[in-house]
Amino acid sequence: MVLLELIWSFTKIGFTSFGGLSMIPLITSEVLSHGWMTASEVSDIVAIAEMTPGPLGLNCATFAGIKAAGIPGAIAANLGVLMPTLTLCLVAAVFFEKFKTSRRMGQIMVGVRPICVGLIVGVMISLSMTNYVVESAVSLPAIGIALLDLFLLLRFKLSIPKVILISAVLGLVFFH
Amino acid sequence: MSNWKKALILFGQFFKFGCFTFGGGWSIIAQMQKLYVENEKTMTSEELLDITSVGRSLPGTMIGNVAMLYGYHVGGVVCGLACLIGMILPPLLILTVITYFYSLVQDNPWVMSAMVGVRAAIVPIIASAAVSLLKSAFRYPLCYALTIMAVILYLAVNMSCVTLVVIGVVCGLLISEYYERKELKKNGTA
Repeated sequence: MVLLELIWSFTKIGFTSFGGLSMIPLITSEVLSHGWMTASEVSDIVAIAEMTPGPLGLNCATFAGIKAAGIPGAIAANLGVLMPTLTLCLVAAVFFEKFKTSRRMGQIMVGVRPICVGLIVGVMISLSMTNYVVESAVSLPAIGIALLDLFLLLRFKLSIPKVILISAVLGLVFFH
Repeated sequence: MSNWKKALILFGQFFKFGCFTFGGGWSIIAQMQKLYVENEKTMTSEELLDITSVGRSLPGTMIGNVAMLYGYHVGGVVCGLACLIGMILPPLLILTVITYFYSLVQDNPWVMSAMVGVRAAIVPIIASAAVSLLKSAFRYPLCYALTIMAVILYLAVNMSCVTLVVIGVVCGLLISEYYERKELKKNGTA
């Protein structure tokens, strides 16, 4: 049954990936071997996932699910990707709430917090390398938009939806 | 407030977050920081960084994990599920529509140019959250070295997050023990 297959495939994808682009090779091999998507659809979905909200894994699941079995397929595939969250993460949440105040947990977080900041900085650097390059050249208008956004966020405390909308309008003005 | 009412409010808040999780979802951290740390003041930036750290180190999608961890923290399993479902619904709905009308948006110059602008906004959005999270990340001077090491290992050798977090756990225990003992010694001789 295709819905169960979707759940199982995307559960495997969910448990073996840690977010972002690391999911792509896995998703590609799963959806191609089941014939849910063609190779060109897979590269399309990466482009679509970038321009719609939501993490890549969930967006791929929705797209492949719809291609394979319509909207029920999308829900089944999403459920699969979220399986680690519904099981492992729930258990982690219980333990974390319980041991949050313990001395050992405090010591562990002293090391984990700086690592997490390092990951955030790493993501920002790698995103900068793709987001400010338009047609394989560094784009000054794109950097200008980013600097304006930073100013609006930090100085005027503008909300994130507003900043995204302003940036979309500026994108239309500069790049259309 | 009853748990169900709380869950309903969280569902609404995360539904709104979900509409604007561009760029792989990191902007949800920025949105949570703005709402819960800055405006409502129901959460410290340290707690948000902790949830992000734990969510990032577990398998699956990070923001799904973060939504679950935050919801559970506020009101148990029901609120965890409310946050999770609220967050994933907008992308699910939007992408369902787009999948059926893909030929309309594909290579559409209007959509493409607007998206260049949206993509340009992602890094400053993450940066605005990072500024606030930074404050609570470095308890001891050696923690700065951990951050620098994580950036280098992540970018240069593409080291997996799990390995990095395990290194963080070990270093956290060692660094804390070292400084706590030093502190004890100083107090002992004083």
